[in-house]
Amino acid sequence: MNANDHDNRLEEVAAYAIGGLDRDQVPGLEKHLAGCKRCQEELRWLSPAVQALPEAVERQAPPPELKQRLMAEVRADAAAEERRTRTEERRERAESRPGIGEWLRGLNVGGLTWKPLAGLALAILVIAGGVGYAVGNGGGSGGAHTWEIEPSNGIAAKVVTEDDRGELHLTGVEQLPKGRILEAWVERDGIVEPVPALFAPDQAGRASTTIESMDEVSAVMVTREPAGGSKKPTTEPFVVVPIET
Amino acid sequence: MRREKAERLADEELMPWIGRKDPEAFEVFYDRHGGAAFSLAYRILGERGAAEDCIQEAFISIWRSGGKFDAARGSVRSWTLSIVRNRAIDMLRSKAGKAPKMTFDDDEIIESRPADELTDEEAMRNETATEVRGALSQLPGEQSKVIQLAYFGGFSQSEIAGMLNVPLGTVKGRMRLGLEKIRGELAEGLA
Repeated sequence: MNANDHDNRLEEVAAYAIGGLDRDQVPGLEKHLAGCKRCQEELRWLSPAVQALPEAVERQAPPPELKQRLMAEVRADAAAEERRTRTEERRERAESRPGIGEWLRGLNVGGLTWKPLAGLALAILVIAGGVGYAVGNGGGSGGAHTWEIEPSNGIAAKVVTEDDRGELHLTGVEQLPKGRILEAWVERDGIVEPVPALFAPDQAGRASTTIESMDEVSAVMVTREPAGGSKKPTTEPFVVVPIET
Repeated sequence: MRREKAERLADEELMPWIGRKDPEAFEVFYDRHGGAAFSLAYRILGERGAAEDCIQEAFISIWRSGGKFDAARGSVRSWTLSIVRNRAIDMLRSKAGKAPKMTFDDDEIIESRPADELTDEEAMRNETATEVRGALSQLPGEQSKVIQLAYFGGFSQSEIAGMLNVPLGTVKGRMRLGLEKIRGELAEGLA
């Protein structure tokens, strides 16, 4: 390449730097740039001039609504990302934690096999499913909803949710034998997870606990567990409240 | 991340947080560069509504690809403004028959703010802007025009030659000479 040819290349570099090189010439120049130090230096030298051009335009204040719209989209994106992450985590945990079906199949309480117990639980679910209703849905104040099941064996249960938080209230609960406690469980995507707050009935047979997050919960259950609670349910649920959204 | 912490981070430190989908980091990033980006989009598109659409699209693309920033290829500021410029030029091209604004008059220069309202970085950018403005004003009109048509209009050298009815070689020479002069002014300012 002679000096004239190279001067032409340097003109192309200037056009390339500012984004004004004809498209069909871009691949050829990029190939040349890869092997020509002089042109690489010219490009490096000119780049600050190009980068400074937008700084010299008249400053216009963007409308505040633009930022509001942008941040609304960003926060919605972030929330969706968090939900995706939580769902993936739950799926990963599914390998180590049983779903309600596996839970029931895996139980052997007091020498009984799972089948009659599962049938009992299913009956509870069916009954509960038949009478569960949302008291606050639409007619309640704010975002409060109440899910109730008809008393079974004298035990009535209701779950009151507001925003993401839930309260489970039981009545008619028999006193617990020594060394036992009530533990609530939530089912999400077929996976049963413990509710950290253990609880016990008062003298009147009332018992309550708090569920910190009701996000994607499809059922709330209660079992009797050894004091200190369990990581996995060890007994059949005597209450199942389906949460229908 | 808390907003106060995000505000203390340099641009290059904010980008990984944006890559991890942190809204507070993104908000600080927007507060730092949204004004310059909007000004550039408005300069190219000439309409506030179109400039808003451009910024919305460009910044969401940055949010969704925040981890892709490569510090080896320049500053966060220049990377951001190049994304905005490319988006605005695409929008301009999609409007068939739309002619770009071709002026670079004195009333389009940056409005100065009192120095005590500016951070060091802003003050430096303002100084750079003054130098570029000065360099552009000293350029022969024909050099300034080809630079503006290329950068703010998105036209290629061939298109500019056709628009101005001058030989392609003339456009090439004017573009290089003009850029070299601006670069020279910036170098003098730093010296």
